[in-house]
Amino acid sequence: MGYVAVKGGTLAIEESIKRLKYERLKKGVVLDCQRIEAGMRCLIDQVMSESSLYDEILAALAIKQAEGSPEEAVFLMRAYRSTLPRKHYSRTIESEAMLVERRISASFKDIPGGQILGSANDYTHRLIDFNLNEETDQEASSWVREYAEESGVDNDKTDLANLPKVLDYLREEGLIPACENDDSEPDDVTKASLQFPTSRSERLQILTRGQTGAVTSLGYVALRSYGALHPTVGELRIGNLSIYVDNPFNERNEDEDTYYIGEIKVTEVETLFPEDVQKLNGQKEIEFSLGYGICYGQNETKAIAISILDHCLETGNAEYPTHNEEFVLMHIDSVEATGFISHLKLPHYVTFQSKLDSVRKSRNGRECKNMKNNEELNP
Amino acid sequence: MIRKKRTEILIKGAAEVSLKLAQEILAIYDVKTIEASNNSLVMVKVRESAQRSLFYLGEVFITECKVMINGFLGIGMVKGHEPTLAYNLAIIDAAYNANLPETIEWKNILLLEEVHIKQECEALKSRVLKTKVNFATMDA
Repeated sequence: MGYVAVKGGTLAIEESIKRLKYERLKKGVVLDCQRIEAGMRCLIDQVMSESSLYDEILAALAIKQAEGSPEEAVFLMRAYRSTLPRKHYSRTIESEAMLVERRISASFKDIPGGQILGSANDYTHRLIDFNLNEETDQEASSWVREYAEESGVDNDKTDLANLPKVLDYLREEGLIPACENDDSEPDDVTKASLQFPTSRSERLQILTRGQTGAVTSLGYVALRSYGALHPTVGELRIGNLSIYVDNPFNERNEDEDTYYIGEIKVTEVETLFPEDVQKLNGQKEIEFSLGYGICYGQNETKAIAISILDHCLETGNAEYPTHNEEFVLMHIDSVEATGFISHLKLPHYVTFQSKLDSVRKSRNGRECKNMKNNEELNP
Repeated sequence: MIRKKRTEILIKGAAEVSLKLAQEILAIYDVKTIEASNNSLVMVKVRESAQRSLFYLGEVFITECKVMINGFLGIGMVKGHEPTLAYNLAIIDAAYNANLPETIEWKNILLLEEVHIKQECEALKSRVLKTKVNFATMDA
């Protein structure tokens, strides 16, 4: 059988796109982007993080168009991003300067600056609140007004824009090795194809833009069975980081001549991994190694999972797949993973027909052989 | 006032402030638009705290504008799609670069706006600090 190239389907595709629009609009209610931005903060954070593009309004629009599908919204954001020029690089952001809104440690009860719970689901009962079904804009506004009128804390002078890091405390105590700044220019995975072994900057960039579910699952794998780690979160902080850009017409790149362009919210995690180390005198001692995770917005599970995978990839134990760079880094990108899986539903008529041809030929061959054998046995 | 502080006040502060200052210049000087407000990206470079190395966190969507006053260039850059704000910031930047006399009077306006920004920031901090845990030891 010969292969026949076909064309067509244009009208069917047009009607299919109409059906898609109908599914979005059939209830006669249009979802306002402002409402998505106001009420779907966590989904917006997830989409911005996975698309590696920070803009709440764009993310809200993408979520609306994608009818709430994160993978589709991320695809839209990445596609739009590819149409824009990258004109600047920010000055290096040091997270010590974060204006913290939440900061906790699972390792130490008393950390300098204190445990600041901020906003989190962790302390709720996780029971569906049926009253939200009746919630009105008016009620929301009056609640916010009343909350704003509540007095804050007067006697606590903790500077949330300059909170000391738990890791620095451990370094000062000599419990983890001191570390100098490494100012090597980072690699950029959006500029060149990944080559193995990867650099640390490439690993962290891929992890932070990874799909939340994939990153979380692989982090869980590393904890549960493949390595059976049990780290402790040294510090988890959420807050805003200011972004500054050098004056493009001042080659001296003076700090005071920079442009402030705004701030971004991030989640940052530093995780401590206890390890038994054999000392020269033969005695065993526990030492701590570190994992680091950071991502756009408030996404604590993802940031913790990144810190676990960062540690796994730094360790590189050949026994475990979660320590294998290719296994982790090549399979966690939302657009790459969903794109490859989704392509299976696209027309494969030619390749599938060739498979069918092979099956038919081999079956025909077998049948002929069987017939010949039968003739020989029963002349 | 240095650019870093000035741009921070203008972006964090009320949009009316940048609008007022820009209109003051537009009323007197010939402002040439070199590059109309347009969208682009800034790649964010971060230092991680485990090994203190650098990496790229991701990109931020921005609006940028360039104008010229008396031969002096001004740049306006701001996160998000903010064409008017980027234009006003570029005018104010050009006015400072050209040392226009109006900028001398602006110092007090900007310092006053900075006070408002600090007050809002302090209010936020004091409300966040209400969520700080006060541990009590459970003695027998």
